[in-house]
Parts: sequence; structure tokens; C-alpha cells
Amino acid sequence: MNAETPRQFDAVELELLWRRLISLVDEAAAALVRTSFSTLVRESYDFSCIVTDASGQSLVQATESIPSFIGTLPETVKHFLKFFPPETLHPGDVLITNDIWLGTGHLPDITVAKPIFRHGKLVAFSASTAHAPDIGGKIRSPEPREVFEEGLQIPPLKLMRAGEADETLVAILRKNVRTPEQTMGDLWAQVVALDLMEERLHILMEQAGLDDLAALAGEIHARCEAAMRSAIAALPDGTYSSELQTDGLMDKPVTLKLSLTIEGDRIIADYTGTDAQVDRAINCALCYTYAMTMYGVKVCTSPHLPNNEGAWRPISIIAPDGCIVNPVFPASGGSRMLIGHYLPMLVFGCLGQVVPERVMAACGSPMWGMNQSGVNAQGKPYANMFFYNGGMGANMRGDGISCLSWPSNVSSTAIEITEHIAPLRVHYKRLRVDSGGPGRHRGGLGQEIALESRSETPIAVSFLAERTIFPAFGIEGGKAGAPGVLRINGEKVDPKKQYVLSRGDTVILATPGGGGHGDPEKRDKLARESDIQAGYASR
Amino acid sequence: MSASLSLGIDIGGTFTDLVVLDPSDGRAVIWKESTTPDDPARGTMLGLMHLLKKGNIAPGSIGRVVHATTLFTNALIERKGAPTGLLTTAGFADTLEIGRERKYELYDLFLEMPKPLVPRPLRREARERLAPDGQIEVPLDVEAMLHEVAFLAEAGVTSLAICFLHSYANSVHERLAAEAIKQKFPRLSITLSSDIAPEIREYQRCVTAVANAYVRPIAEIYLENLEKALKQAGIPGSLFLMLSNGGLTHVAEAKRAPVQLLESGPAAGALAGAWFGRHAGLDRVLAFDMGGTTAKLALVDDGEPLVAWGFEAARTKRFLRGSGLPIQIATVELIEIGAGGGSIARRSDLGTLHVGPESAGAQPGPVCYARGGYEPTVTDSDLSLGYLNADFFLGGAMRIDLAGAERALGSLSTSMGLEPLRGAFGIHDVVNENMAGAARVAIAERGRVPQDYALLATGGAAPVHAWHVARKLGVKHVICPPGAGAGSTIGMLMAPARIDRVASFNMSLASADLSAAEAVFSGLEKDGLAVIRETGADMAKARLRRLADMRYIGQGFEITVPLEGNSDRQGILAAFETAYRKLFGRTPPGAAVQFVALRVSVSAPMPGAGGKLRLDGQQTSDAALKGYRDVYFADLGEKRSTPVYDRYALTPGTNITGPAVFEENESTFIVGPGARISLLPEGSIMAEYVS
Repeated sequence: MNAETPRQFDAVELELLWRRLISLVDEAAAALVRTSFSTLVRESYDFSCIVTDASGQSLVQATESIPSFIGTLPETVKHFLKFFPPETLHPGDVLITNDIWLGTGHLPDITVAKPIFRHGKLVAFSASTAHAPDIGGKIRSPEPREVFEEGLQIPPLKLMRAGEADETLVAILRKNVRTPEQTMGDLWAQVVALDLMEERLHILMEQAGLDDLAALAGEIHARCEAAMRSAIAALPDGTYSSELQTDGLMDKPVTLKLSLTIEGDRIIADYTGTDAQVDRAINCALCYTYAMTMYGVKVCTSPHLPNNEGAWRPISIIAPDGCIVNPVFPASGGSRMLIGHYLPMLVFGCLGQVVPERVMAACGSPMWGMNQSGVNAQGKPYANMFFYNGGMGANMRGDGISCLSWPSNVSSTAIEITEHIAPLRVHYKRLRVDSGGPGRHRGGLGQEIALESRSETPIAVSFLAERTIFPAFGIEGGKAGAPGVLRINGEKVDPKKQYVLSRGDTVILATPGGGGHGDPEKRDKLARESDIQAGYASR
Repeated sequence: MSASLSLGIDIGGTFTDLVVLDPSDGRAVIWKESTTPDDPARGTMLGLMHLLKKGNIAPGSIGRVVHATTLFTNALIERKGAPTGLLTTAGFADTLEIGRERKYELYDLFLEMPKPLVPRPLRREARERLAPDGQIEVPLDVEAMLHEVAFLAEAGVTSLAICFLHSYANSVHERLAAEAIKQKFPRLSITLSSDIAPEIREYQRCVTAVANAYVRPIAEIYLENLEKALKQAGIPGSLFLMLSNGGLTHVAEAKRAPVQLLESGPAAGALAGAWFGRHAGLDRVLAFDMGGTTAKLALVDDGEPLVAWGFEAARTKRFLRGSGLPIQIATVELIEIGAGGGSIARRSDLGTLHVGPESAGAQPGPVCYARGGYEPTVTDSDLSLGYLNADFFLGGAMRIDLAGAERALGSLSTSMGLEPLRGAFGIHDVVNENMAGAARVAIAERGRVPQDYALLATGGAAPVHAWHVARKLGVKHVICPPGAGAGSTIGMLMAPARIDRVASFNMSLASADLSAAEAVFSGLEKDGLAVIRETGADMAKARLRRLADMRYIGQGFEITVPLEGNSDRQGILAAFETAYRKLFGRTPPGAAVQFVALRVSVSAPMPGAGGKLRLDGQQTSDAALKGYRDVYFADLGEKRSTPVYDRYALTPGTNITGPAVFEENESTFIVGPGARISLLPEGSIMAEYVS
């Protein structure tokens, strides 16, 4: 075969190779879930696996990935290449970083990547991001003012050199986290996943007679790019604007602005006018802004398109340096989803003006969570993160779903598991009556959770809690859902602060309901009655 | 005449398969009857009459009846169970509805989550509370609880599930409640979560208990009626039920926990695969069943189908994980793929060739059925490639429009810039890749390699596709058993009695009281053996297995470790590490290990579940070689004139070299070049890839 002519793939061969690539990243994801130590990976699926070509452009991503990592992980691989050009890479190397600007916007997400060589030539990377059980620093809360307070920063480094772990780096990692066994256990689980992708990719390339992935990547990217462009071209040209306010620093809301321009077959999302970064850990690094914007666009334009580089090319983002969706060093960003999860909603606000049937009312998200840490009876420090979700917004076709993770996809930890791993007693976890925004279609319900400390020693708690001031709004005449409420010992408290609980102290989290869709007066009478009968609504 | 024959009945959605086996000489007679969904017993009894007549069999000679059914699964899918109530710990009535809070599809704003089986007004709460270790923190308020149950009884509830927090650790409150309720509401059917699925994670345990309660009243009535009808038909043998775990049990156990029967039909299919594999001298078999809409894969190791300790029932999106109800019951592990003869081929939005999961089903069916289908399907491509015979479709019972199929294939191919033959084989190849891909993931999840397995093809379409699927997987042996269409019924008759029991045991390996573990194991064994003994199984050959769900402390998923006689700490640790390495390649350094649950699996062969099988075939001709036709093979890249054999006329010991085609009424077995083919004594065709 002439090496100069790129290999051609017909409709059958391309489908076959594509399928095999997807199944190999899914295999790796399955292995990672099974071997992981952290509840965030195995119960909340807070991870992703991908294969990229030699230039770091993503080819395929594991099916179970959460939306944020779909956008960030390929970018991190490209950053790695800047720090480690191909000539510095060797078989068996594993690269690592958790830099918030190069990674996912907060330190607990550790990304690793492995260069894959064939006949001595760099042909691909296998890569994975997973949320570590702990990364040291102040426990996750919006309080840190600079990234230095948030834990250990790992610049792009080689975790393994030609198959040998860097023991110095491992020792530093272990020393700086509260849960060295779990954090390292998860890291090795990620390495297992990288190895698995590498091995499967070699088999695939051998069987398909491929010496590199350039031609295949080119074909996959070109087709996805064309599909995305034609989906965008089907929308009317114009500039559409949307803005919203978030709880921000509680005493001062944050305003987010997006003007989205559809210009032929491309989209420009411009966040100019958005408030400046703040000295709290809710700043949303550009990588995360990028991921959440892409997610919103994809849901509206081409939900079934496979995730890879090609699909993103027609979309560009403008966010001025120093604004809260593109903060600059040394901004803190541990709780960046408290801004980031609003962004798909802003995209809906813009695209809803042209495709109202493809959007929904606001959700009771950003997701809620409680981080709890302490020192156990054996004197060992520990940390747990528990997530709780609000209601989905209603849409043109029906009511919003109650208590569902969106835009993320993080499941809640079982109560029985919570009580096993944390010195807590859960008194109830129930649907929150009347929290769904009224509308022709009602918003999904939030939930109420009451927890009591049973710890003999004080425990620290901090929260992810938004929409306590600005509820999830309705659209097309629908009303807002109920705002969220956070109480400690019955008192409403500032959810952006950290608290110390003594035995017997109780925390109540009431997650926000989703917004309604359409005029509440037009709600079907039977639907209204059945809501009252089921106790979803009191009137 | 002694009652020595075994009768198998498998009620599926479309057909009820019946088979009678004479264990003394292995003679089997098969009958297919249309299922009568309004009253399945009617179709069964009708089919039974036909079967007995066909085989000239006296009802009095049937010594046992084995039954599998999809009825209960259908009741869940169609939400046609009993009016069911739920009693939970105060504060947790919504657990069933809140679920896991996770989407099964990331980009779909219009998701439908599975509706809870018990609506909110019928979910009531009881004041009681246990700590995670099972200690009572708040005693059960019996009076208030009875008040809630009275409300449910008044609302028309006939079946009640009770699921209290941490009841896997201590069932005392669930039992106390059940006793008090029985006194006051003797007609209410009661299911305890600690009885059905005593495992940690309240949502999954609750769903399992509720699903059991939901189907239980139906199961009780149905099983009683069936027993009565069999007696009336003059059959003296007792009735046994096929469980999802691939074992048998008696009627009383099936009535207590019918949730164990949800996957009984597919389990029977996997068992048939195991049986035929064993008889072909193969330890590891990938049982591959492919029908009109779906393909199913089951792994068989050492002659037994692999069992998972939970599965998902009644999915709102059939092939999407997470869209169904999690049922924590031992179940033969099946991978279901949207790939069948009716799967439709289309040009995807990206210009590639997609096949399935959309299916033309039986109506309108493939284009070649000429019933109005216009999009080419897998069956159409199989026909045009020469794999299927237009003149001998379903044994010649159906007229086929080959020209129509080729027109549809041609226009799809042209639209994608493919030669028609490339397009037709592309469909075959893509659907095979879909199945091979699922098999690869499933096999990898167990730390195995496909090359260790043989592929066993059952169902109408699997024998057509097995050869090329095997080549994709690097599998050398492909077996096509006789009567592949009714294979699962045969599997039931070969099934042992089997009971799986589990108990929660949450302790670190280092500090666990191993004598307490011993006591738990022997309690579970005693319980399992008692049920098995009542089935009349051969207790002399009973097999007891002890397993433990274990993990590294801090991990959230357990692996099930066969302890194989290891009872000291070191032996248990070694068994765990071996199992872990087998699955995941490496063990994390320095991590401590814990138990989560202890399991016992008890099985014993049923008398009459012998080793022989001889199907009553219809000898269609004396000569095995029927002629030649042009068949496409990927290795050759073109169609080649290929010998076509009448499967029924083959005699044991026959040796043939591939490529070859073997026709029988329900299917066609395609074998490519480079194969050595032989007929095994019990009628299976074995094809081995040699070069």
C-alpha cells in the first residue's frame, strides 16, 4: 500500500471500526467502575475514558461519561502534548495532572493519559479523568479564595516512566490527601483502564491493518463535523441573548450573560457581559465553561451525534479573561458547577427562541451535595461526599422528572451506605411537596433530606447548594419551582460556608424543584387531581 | 407402566414449547403451540394434547413436569400485577420513587423513568428504626403500623411489601410487623425485603420486594390452576418451576418468591446451551440465541451458565442500562442485544451503515416476506447472500420474495455508494459486529478471552450468523444443536434443582468472627437443602457451594468469590485475590479486605435429567446432499457454489469440509471455508475452524 494515499473506508468498514472503538472504551469504563474505591466513581459515575488520535483529538468516549468530562478530557490530552511533545514520550509512560485550567476546573478530578505507540510511532492516547475521593486542602466548599487553599496541585508530570511509577510523586500524593489508600487505589484503577484501552486498540489496529489512526480519525471527525454543521444550518441565523442570576456569594448575586450567534453552519457563544471572577471557589474555568456550553448546544441540535472532536468544531466560545466563566490564576474553582451547571440553561434561553420544542424550563440544579469530613475513632482522617438532586424542568411534552441529576449525571448514595460510611443518621429523604413549578406541565419535585450527626468528635460539613435565592424559572408561562433551603438545627444558614457539627446537630437540605412549562390554568384537570391525590401538590 | 417420562413446558410471548423426554433412551418429542395470553393454561393444555397424540404417549407415564414462563415478567412490563402496597421506615416512603437519581440517557430531555410499581398513596410508613449494625434504635410501633395497613386494605391492596432500613442486618422489625399483620389481615399476601433480597442498598432491595409482592397473587392463582389442570389431564407427576438462576424448585417455593421466576425462560435457553456444550465435550460455551428482534448471549463455564446476583427488569428503553427496575435475584447472566433477523438496516445520519435495534418484527417483517416491509433487514441480506433458501423457507412453508429483497438492498447500497453485494454482506457483517462487541465486553468483564469459548447457536437466526461471529471473536468451534428452535425446553428437562441463598455479613476479613460466618453458612445451607430435598432431587449427588461477596475496604462494588473449601483467613484472602486478579489484572497494594455478604448455592440433579437425547426428526430424504447453491463468504470475497445438506439425513460420524450449508425446518447452519465439520452422537453439528 502506498503510504502517501490516505486509507479509504466505506460505509461498512467505518461502522465496524467505530463500533469496536466504542466497545473498547466501554470495556475500560466497566473495569474502572468495578475497581474504583471512591463512591464518586462507582456509584455516581463521576469519571470518563477516551481514546484520541496522536494529536489529542478525541475519537471515542465511554458511553457512561458525565457531560463535563466529555468536553474537558480531550482538551487535557492536547495540553499534555504541549508539555510533553511526542519526542519526549515513550511506551509505558503515563501522564498526570489535576491543574484546574488544563483539567476540569477543580482539583479533585485527576486526569491520566497514556501515549500509545505502534511500530515505534505515536499513534494514539488512552486517557481517563476520575473524581478522586480526596485531594487534600480545605474540604470542598465555596470558601477558598485561591486555588492554593483547595488542595494539592499536580502540574503535568509523568506518573509512570516506561512502566515505572515515579515513587517521589506517589509519596507526595499520598502525604497530601486524607485518604491515601483510596486516592491511590483509584489512580491505579485508572491506569488499569488505560492499559486495557491500549491493548484493545493494538488488537483492533492489527486486525484492521492500520499503521496509524490518522485516516480513520479524519473520517470520523469529518462526518461528525458535517452532521453538526448541517444541524446548525437548519436553525435560523441571528444573535439570541439570554441572562440569569445565581445566588453567587449570597449577599451579591452573580449575573451570567450569553449571546449566541448562529451564522450559517457555525455557532459563536459569547459570554461578554458576564460578571467578573470572585474570591470564592465558584469560578468556572474555561474548560468547564466549554464543556457545559457544548452540552447545551448538543442537547438542542443533535442529541444522538457521537461524542468526538468533529462535533465540537463548528462551535466557538468567547469569554473575556477574568470573568467568572473564564477566571485567571490563582482563582479557586472547587465548586465551579455552582456556576457551570447554569450554562446549558443559558444556551436553552437563547436556542429556545428558535426551537422552543427542544428545550425545557430551568432545573433544580446545580446539583446539591454535602461534604463531610472528620477523624474517626481510630484517629484516621476521612472525607465523604453525598449528592442530592433537585427536580427537572418541565418541557413541551410533559412534566419534569422529580429528583434527577441534570446536566450532570451523578446518582445519590444509598442511605444504608451513607449510614455505614459516615457517623450520620438520616431521618428522612422524601419528595418535597409543592416544590415543582406550576404550569401546563409541572416542574419535577425536589427532595428533603434530614441528617443528624452521631459522631462523638466534631465533624466538618460544607455544601453545594444553589437556587436558594433565585429559583428554577418556568417558561412559556410556567411558574418557578420552589427555591432550595438549607437549615442547621432549624436555622436557615449560608450554604456557601463551612460548619462544624456536634453530636445531635441536624442538617436539613431541601433541593429546589424544576420550573413549569406553559400556563398553569391550562393544566389538565385529571393531572391536577392526581397530583393532589399523590401529594405532589397540596392544591 | 411406570411414570418415567419428563414433560417440559415453556410459555413464551408467541409460542408455547412443549417437549416430552424419555430419559431411558433419550427420545424427545417436541410440539409448538400458539400462546394464549388471556389464559396461558388453555394453550398449554391444548398443546399438551397435541404433543401426547403426536408421540403416542399416555399421560400416566409422565413422572414430572418442568415449567418456565415469561408471564410474570410480562405482568411487570405491562403493569398488570396485583394492587400492591408498601410499608417502609418512617421518612422513606419515597425511596421507591426517588430511585437512583440518574439519567439513563445523557442527551434526551424527554426521558421516561420507570414508574414505581406502588403509587405514592399506597406507600405508607411505620415508626421504627434500626442502626446500620442492626441494633434497634426505635422500637416498632405496632399499633400505628396496623393503622396504616388498615388504610391499605381498605384501598383494595391485596399484596403488601415491607422494606425497613437495615433489615438486611436484622429482620426483627419486618418479621414482627408481618406477624401482627397476619393476625389482623389474614388474607393479605406479605413479602419481606429481608426474606427476598437481604442485601444492603434500600432502593434495590425495596424494588425487589415490591416486584415480588406485585406478581405473587397472580403466581399463586396461576400455579394452582396449572397444577389442577395437569392432574385433570391424568398426569401423575409433580410440577417444578424453572428459576432465573437456572435451577428448579417446587411449587411452594415458587409461590413464596415468584420474583425468582422472572427470567426463567431465558435461563432455560442458557441451560440448553450448557447441556449441548457439555455433551460436545466443551467446558466453556458462549450460548448464542438470535431470533427476530433480539440476540441473547450467555456465558457457560465448566458446564454451568454464569449467574449474576441481580438484573434489570421491565426497562422503559429495552437496551438501555438504567431504564429498568433493579431486581436483586440470582439470575443467569444474559446480555441482550437489539439484533435479530428483523433488524432494519439504514444509512445513519453520518453516512455509515446502521443495523438495528429497530426491527421490522413479524409485522410487516422483512421485505422478503412481502407483507409491506420496505426497509431491508438482516433476513433480506441473509437471503440475498445465499444463506437462506427462498424455496425452503421455514421448511418450505412460506413463500418468499427474493427479488423484492434485492431491490431494497440495492437501493440502500446505492445510496451509500456501495456495490449491492458489499451492501448485503455489510448488513450481515455489521449485525455480527454488534453481537461480537457485546460478547467481547461481557467476556472481558469476567477477565476471560473469547478464544477460550465455543459458540453454540440456537434460535432461528443464530446458526446463520454464528460462523462469522465466531471468526470475529477468534472462536474456533461452533456448534449447532438439533431442534435449535425448541432448545430451551430441552434445557429445562436437564436442569438440576438449585437454590441460591444470601445473607448480609458486613465485617472486615481481619476482624470477622469466622465461626459466626460458619454459622451463617450452615444456616443458609440447611435452608437451601430443605427446599431441594422437597423437590425429590438426588440428594446423594447434592452439591454445596459457599461464596462470599467481598471487596477492598472503601470500594463500593463487591465481587463474588467462590471459597472452595477455604475457611481460614489466609485461604479466604487468597481466594479473594485470585478472583480479583482474574477480573481486574492487578490487586491494589496494601489494601484491606472485607466481607459484604455470604452466599450459598445448593444444587442436586433431578432424577430423569439424564444424559441422552434423540430428537424425533422428520427424515425428509435419504440423501443428505440436497444440491448446491451460490453462497457468499467473506474469506473468499465472492459467492461460491456450496453444497447444501439436509440436516435430518446426516448420520453420526459424518465428516464434511467447509464451506457447507445445513438446512432444517427452523433454521439454516452456515459454515465457511476452512472448516472441519462433524455430526456428534446427540445430533449436534460441530464446525471447527482449522485454517
